[in-house]
Amino acid sequence: MSDLRTEEYYLNMGPHHPSTHGVCRMVLKMDGEKVKEIEPHIGYLHRSIEKICENRTYAQCIPILDRFEYVTAMSCNYVFALAAERLASIEVPERAEHIRVIMLELNRIASHLLFYGVTAMDIGALTPFLYGLRERESILDLFEMTCGQRLTYNYIRVGGVSRDLPNGFIPKCHEALNTIEKKLADYEGLLNENPIWLVRTVGIGVLPAKVALDYGVSGPCLRASGVQYDLRRNDPYSIYDRFEFDIPVRHNGDCYDRYLLRLDEIRQSIHIVRQALDALPEGDFKAKVSPNFKPPAGEVYARIENSRGELGVHVISDGTKKPLRVKTRGASYNHIAVLPAFATDVLLADLVAIFATMDVIMPEVDR
Amino acid sequence: MGLIKKLPVYTEKMPGGGIVMTSLEAALHNAQAKSLWYLLFGTACCAIELMCTGASRYDFDRLGMIFRATPRQADLIIAAGTITKKMAPRLRLLYDQMAEPRYVIAMGGCTIKGGPFYYDSYSVEKGIDHIIPVDVYIPGCPPRPESLLEGCITLQEKIKKQSLLDWQEKD
Amino acid sequence: MDKDQLSAYLTDKSEGKLTLLEVGRHDPIFKVEASQLIEVCTWLRDDEQLKFDFLCNLSGVDTGEQFEVVYQLASTSKSLRVDIKVILPYDGAEIESVQKVWAAANWHEREMWELYGINVKNHGKLEFLLLPEDWDEGFPMRKDWDAPDFIRMPEF
Repeated sequence: MSDLRTEEYYLNMGPHHPSTHGVCRMVLKMDGEKVKEIEPHIGYLHRSIEKICENRTYAQCIPILDRFEYVTAMSCNYVFALAAERLASIEVPERAEHIRVIMLELNRIASHLLFYGVTAMDIGALTPFLYGLRERESILDLFEMTCGQRLTYNYIRVGGVSRDLPNGFIPKCHEALNTIEKKLADYEGLLNENPIWLVRTVGIGVLPAKVALDYGVSGPCLRASGVQYDLRRNDPYSIYDRFEFDIPVRHNGDCYDRYLLRLDEIRQSIHIVRQALDALPEGDFKAKVSPNFKPPAGEVYARIENSRGELGVHVISDGTKKPLRVKTRGASYNHIAVLPAFATDVLLADLVAIFATMDVIMPEVDR
Repeated sequence: MGLIKKLPVYTEKMPGGGIVMTSLEAALHNAQAKSLWYLLFGTACCAIELMCTGASRYDFDRLGMIFRATPRQADLIIAAGTITKKMAPRLRLLYDQMAEPRYVIAMGGCTIKGGPFYYDSYSVEKGIDHIIPVDVYIPGCPPRPESLLEGCITLQEKIKKQSLLDWQEKD
Repeated sequence: MDKDQLSAYLTDKSEGKLTLLEVGRHDPIFKVEASQLIEVCTWLRDDEQLKFDFLCNLSGVDTGEQFEVVYQLASTSKSLRVDIKVILPYDGAEIESVQKVWAAANWHEREMWELYGINVKNHGKLEFLLLPEDWDEGFPMRKDWDAPDFIRMPEF
């Protein structure tokens, strides 16, 4: 037996691979079925959103940024509107702020439901995919009745939102939240104690908190590693400081914790939406802002907590109607960059689980 | 004959017997149109709508469409999402790996002409029809699942109308 | 520590290496000389009062006259935010890599190098990240960049 030896080889995964959630290519150095080194190659979806935004007015940038992170397009709308409002010192009406919070949190729930379905499918369970996307449709219906789109909304504008909530939104929203809350038990029943799921996720891909911070990992992935850092609390924006909610934290940093944490977040988001619906004041839904407004020269980095982590946009104004520079920062960018630092010495199948639970989405990476 | 009598959907009582006459073409192409297996090729926003179409509410399977992860088993490539200059050679490669007869649906504005990334973009391929031949275009940004279903039905109609001569290897 | 206290603290303790700029609209923005970048960054990360352990973002900027590199820093334990800006000349723009301070800078610097042509010293792996491997059309994010198939949106 002593003359048995293994030889290292390279395996190309992607750019078209069903478990990479888009078009990410990873060159893996393998020893048998163990991954020794990972080298991610990105850029297969590089659409030059930043260059396009430099040649658009502030209002025109928002639909382009919808495509920057389409699973939570509301937060992309919002983060750019926030940056422009800070640049031009625009006051946003109370009602608009409440509507924004409702939309952002609904979008977070929709994104986590998609995560639930897609992650389970990547790891080999098909039923959760059908469950997760079924309830996601009820949220998409709400968005559709509000702004007419299912995915890329262009709803949150500079100074407010594009239109008021439609008739019948509030009861329908309550109904959707109740359904999702009830179905969450089903979701957990399917996976939480499922022995196959436990073997595939518990203790797999442990991300230490120090590595996570060093590489700029944020959002649920960071909180699953035991760092309580949520921009809704630590760098408050909009009216989040008025609502009561918990920041779920878990401490193992493995795939299972990252999965559980997102289910906890769905509950918190439901809680926030209910509070915002109850507190919704009457009034204007949009401040008066000229479509070709010119903010004074200056620069701002606005960041919010979206479903994947820190979503930021760095906008520089030179006093004209078009921004001088728009740099977008998506959480997934760092989530892929950190893979070589911690996801080594795992089985190839576990790498898929790690990749899935980091909830990477490629347009955020490639832009 | 006993079995056929139990399946009234598939045969009709004909004067003098239970035989259905059809041409080979019609039978083949009907079968082919009802079992289009598509390649999971999603790059951007449209991929999410493609997933929604495959999931509970819209249920792609009823058109006989099942996703395949490898091009070798797929008949149809639904190009869902922006194709960039870096991705274009890979799309061509995937298309080349598929077996004839193969079909292409261009889903969304980006695959038709660059969509919102037509102006001011240095890296987006402006339309996939200069990389691979396209059978059906579905406009929208992104198209709704209903439009995707409509596009697939249009493709099925196209397949049913083709003749056996179309099966020949084309250059 | 609120924003004014942070500005005062940084101006006070940095021994003149950080100068407050007027352009910041929400968080303070400080200018630092390219030669002192690593020293200042290490101090910002390790100072007990600051603990800027999180590099949010790193953007290269082409203003038309000069290059700017902006580091957006955050402190997870103290909930602070600050921007650090380095101004570089248009010709021969070069900056030291901050990877040793924050590993997150790696890809941002590669991106800045390929899109703006700002050279990053001691990076270790300056290869194309977002652009195709055979890209030879220059630095597309520069303001004066143009190519035959680049279509500008008409003004209206």
